[in-house]
Amino acid sequence: MCASCGYPARPGHWTEAGAVDSHDRIRARFRRVEVLGRVLPAYGLTAHDGAQVPGIQVGTLSGNQTIALDLAELWVVAEKLAGRPVDPLDPCFIGGETD
Amino acid sequence: MAETRDGRVKLTILGGFLGSGKTTWLRHQLHEGRFPDAVIVVNEAAGTPVDDALLSKAARLVVLADGCACCEGRDGLVALLRGLCDERSRIDSGGERFGRIVLETSGLADPGPIIEAIRSDPVLIHHIVVSEIIVLIDAVNALGNLAGDPLGRRQVETADRLIVTKVDEGDQAGLPHLLATIRVVNPGAAITGAIRGSDAPLPDFAGVLPTPVAASDDASGAPLFPTRLAIDPSVDWTAFTVWLSALLHARGDDVLRVKGVVRTAAGRLLLQSVRKTVQSPEILPPQENDPSREDNTIVVIGRGYRAEDLRRSLAHFAGSRSG
Repeated sequence: MCASCGYPARPGHWTEAGAVDSHDRIRARFRRVEVLGRVLPAYGLTAHDGAQVPGIQVGTLSGNQTIALDLAELWVVAEKLAGRPVDPLDPCFIGGETD
Repeated sequence: MAETRDGRVKLTILGGFLGSGKTTWLRHQLHEGRFPDAVIVVNEAAGTPVDDALLSKAARLVVLADGCACCEGRDGLVALLRGLCDERSRIDSGGERFGRIVLETSGLADPGPIIEAIRSDPVLIHHIVVSEIIVLIDAVNALGNLAGDPLGRRQVETADRLIVTKVDEGDQAGLPHLLATIRVVNPGAAITGAIRGSDAPLPDFAGVLPTPVAASDDASGAPLFPTRLAIDPSVDWTAFTVWLSALLHARGDDVLRVKGVVRTAAGRLLLQSVRKTVQSPEILPPQENDPSREDNTIVVIGRGYRAEDLRRSLAHFAGSRSG
């Protein structure tokens, strides 16, 4: 249980396996939102993680916000907020990279 | 000791359609001294256990007879595995404790939901790592099962290792066609032959035309193909996991299998998924002299996309230029 927010401890998500210590984990969280920042704007969404509370804050440009606890949940939340399916093989991700 | 470096128990799932020879194969392997420190768990869909009588060579045998472990017997399986892990945790790591569990599924089980049950259980995820899915295929009835039963096909699709049993029975001329068909259904798995549990040579099937079989019910019908995806140094673990989690979320029904070793700060991680389920990665020893394992290369088996799309999409997520 997290003492500050009351979230119960979850089984570690597989995406969090690459970190050894707390420094790695914090770095990975910042890197995670950086990567999401390259993807979510295509759906009119933003991601924020201040590493203060567990989870990733996902928001729409109109201010609607939700917290996703891990990446599996994030994509479900993102689709709900965006109102359409999120697909990493979308032409906007595979056709670009020309600059 | 078979257990992993982080002390988790390896789980080998032995599946295959009804009557494919799972118990015969396992009995022979035990006779030859394989799986010496393993607990054998036999799941029988029917309430009356029979197979346990045949597996007397097992160091320890547990029967799970309250239904098929992938559906109605799932709670029973989780409770049984929890019990085994609990018991093992009381013995210290230097002591005599088992390092492997071999689960012989019922002939009606799909390995996918079993892995999902383990992964989603908060206790088992810390104790068990699925090391291999072995699926047995009976050479006599395989084509019928692949063509007529979506379950038979799903079993073959999820395997790491396929063992074609009873290769001395049935139509010898049709065997290469069967092997070519199995290769189309699962392009990534190793295929070997067996007769009553002993290894048997298989005919060469290169260039042989596969027999067309209908796609399983959840598939679009396009053929599966393997893609080797090199993860270059500009792609870090975090970017890779963001990408893979998105891919499995969006395309989990089409991406059947992902497997490979990725280098991270925590060490070499063995990553594997079956459909949408990724199991908790296993940390491998730093220098494993296994030439078949290439680090930072993953194999994706799926359908409904182009191999190039995966590379470009990953490069976009990681922010590296793909040219």
